[in-house]
Amino acid sequence: MDAESMIASLTDRFPDDVYDADIESAIRTAAKVKPENVVDVCRYLKEELSFGHLCCEFGVDYPDRNEIEVIYMLGSYEHPVILTMKALLSRDEPEIESVVPVYWNANWYERETYELYGVKYLNHPDLKPLVLPIEMLGEWPLRKDYKGFPNKTAKNLV
Amino acid sequence: MDEVEQTQVEQSEVQNVGYADIPGVALTDSNVISDFIKKTKVQDVLNWGRKNSLWFMVNAMGCCGVELLSTGMAHYDTDRFGIIPRNSPRHADVMIISGYVTKKYLPALKRIWDQMPAPKWIICFGDCAISGGPFYESYSTHQNIDEIFPVDVFVPGCPPRCEALIQGFVELQKKIETKKDKGTDY
Amino acid sequence: MEETVGPSEMIVHLGPQHPMMPGPFRLNAKLRGETVVDSEVDLGWIHKGIEKILENKTYLQGITIVDRICYLEALTNEEAYVGCVEKLAGIEVPERAQYIRVIVEELSRIQSHLLGMGEYASFVGFVSMFMYTIRDREDVLTLLDSVTGARITHSFLRFGGVKDDLPEGFKDDVKYVFGNLRKAIDSYEDQYSSDSIYKARTVGIGVLTADVAKDMGVSGPPLRATGVDFDIRKDEPYLVYDDLDFKVCTHRDGDVYARIQVRLDEMRESMHIIEQCLDQIPSGPIFPENTPYGKRSPVMRIPAGEVFHRVESPRGEMGFYMVSDGSEKPHRVKIRGPVYPTLQTLPPLLKGVNVADIVAIAGSMDTCTSEADR
Repeated sequence: MDAESMIASLTDRFPDDVYDADIESAIRTAAKVKPENVVDVCRYLKEELSFGHLCCEFGVDYPDRNEIEVIYMLGSYEHPVILTMKALLSRDEPEIESVVPVYWNANWYERETYELYGVKYLNHPDLKPLVLPIEMLGEWPLRKDYKGFPNKTAKNLV
Repeated sequence: MDEVEQTQVEQSEVQNVGYADIPGVALTDSNVISDFIKKTKVQDVLNWGRKNSLWFMVNAMGCCGVELLSTGMAHYDTDRFGIIPRNSPRHADVMIISGYVTKKYLPALKRIWDQMPAPKWIICFGDCAISGGPFYESYSTHQNIDEIFPVDVFVPGCPPRCEALIQGFVELQKKIETKKDKGTDY
Repeated sequence: MEETVGPSEMIVHLGPQHPMMPGPFRLNAKLRGETVVDSEVDLGWIHKGIEKILENKTYLQGITIVDRICYLEALTNEEAYVGCVEKLAGIEVPERAQYIRVIVEELSRIQSHLLGMGEYASFVGFVSMFMYTIRDREDVLTLLDSVTGARITHSFLRFGGVKDDLPEGFKDDVKYVFGNLRKAIDSYEDQYSSDSIYKARTVGIGVLTADVAKDMGVSGPPLRATGVDFDIRKDEPYLVYDDLDFKVCTHRDGDVYARIQVRLDEMRESMHIIEQCLDQIPSGPIFPENTPYGKRSPVMRIPAGEVFHRVESPRGEMGFYMVSDGSEKPHRVKIRGPVYPTLQTLPPLLKGVNVADIVAIAGSMDTCTSEADR
């Protein structure tokens, strides 16, 4: 199955939830998904289109659009196509369903996105900080308007 | 006025009579022995022994940590200087801060430092430990490590080569020999 | 992991300072007697915020930063980063530069496997093997040093090419070093396969099956040890890997012994690749001609866009996702490291094993915590 038929199959199955589908090259595709149904779409991708490999999941901050994008990079061990799936969330209260029931290794990616961007994952098994100390929770350091960067405490700054 | 204070001190000392007050007895929790030894030639002999058995703790914290491992191994063979890698802080004399000290790691690092028995020394290995290096502006790292730990030797480089670490140890040996090292409460 | 401790159970913290792998990490293991009931990995002890720093550096400055994501695979990290920019800006890399890149990246793979394998041997009590591998690794590092000018963090790749050409007499040096290294690797294999204690500690320990490994997103030697021939160099070829003859090393068993064996085989394949490259390498420029690349680099502006580029690093699939907004700095760089999913497999793998096997299993993944923390 090539990239075009995969995207066609995806948009046919979820005409309301998947939009802006795009085929960039033979191995790169992109689509946007409504945040409410991301788990169903992921389950379909994994079980029917053999996108069994979650490369990574992360956030991108767009302060001028007041949006946080959560991006799922979905790859496969069977075919070389990679799907970049984006879910657009509001920057004020970002909330999205967790995909841990489908992709087991999304656990840490979601914990990291939570502590760095403040994206709240619903129904996540253990949503707590992963790499930052617990005191830094709530600062969301990877957002563009984070105040603590650059750190200017070094005494030998030129 | 002075006399009054003096008598008060004497009275309180009398109340706390212990072994420390018996002439000729020195307890291990006091500094009497080490203070006495520091004034004598015995200290030179002790320092000669100490400088030739600097066991360092393997605590690879970053890029420099890999050079740290290489330094202790066959090719550079620091064993010939008595510099031996140890895995436990309780066996070690030298802590090498070989990377960025993050906000999360600093409490653990302080505890490791406390676990090491005196006399002990610190070498800052690499730019990250000295000044933050390429990560000086990060939200997650601590700067100015020399204000937190009593650092004896700084080894610059990103990462420094193994030879530089050996040179750092030689500098530390020189400092110990001339009793100019710090942070060693022995 | 639940913090409550039942009768005759206790929680042991391994780390953050530990000799298990280069880099601090903590493993909280709940034990009942000698058996691990449950465990939890605690990351972030050397979280440096590289993704944030990259957003505030120009593209060229970023090369030095991505070196330090994981110090054992600096060149493949650079390849992934530089590849992203080249895809976005549409830069064609001349063939000679591509061959040089393959040579240094495969050398870097050899030195990484030598360290990982030797260090692993020391975890199971085979310290003399560590001495041997480090001895041979120094030779490989000297080769890398002669090309890039650094032992660990190279900053060697540039957009559109490489910093320097190969030095004179490099082919002879490689021939000499590889002659020794081939013999050394054979002797490692001999020692591994003939040592009954080593085998008792590795065969059948920490078995990862192919389905579970795929489900967990594992890549690199831990995955190939389960029999899956997933290798980005074959599946999504970059540079000149298409023209080179090499095979993907796999093993069936998926246990600790298989992972080490895969690394041994991969080193042989890497040497084979480098020798082919040195025979086939064409003469020519190392930067695209009639372009500003390779000159004293100005501040580059990269066209707006988003790109994902992945390469096969010594530990598995290394990918960069870059969002450019048309300015001289990237809007967002996401680093997808191979160690991150591999470390996630530890809690399920460690369930029910003996305490002594924790180090054997965790060490065999050849994880680099610096890359997981970033």
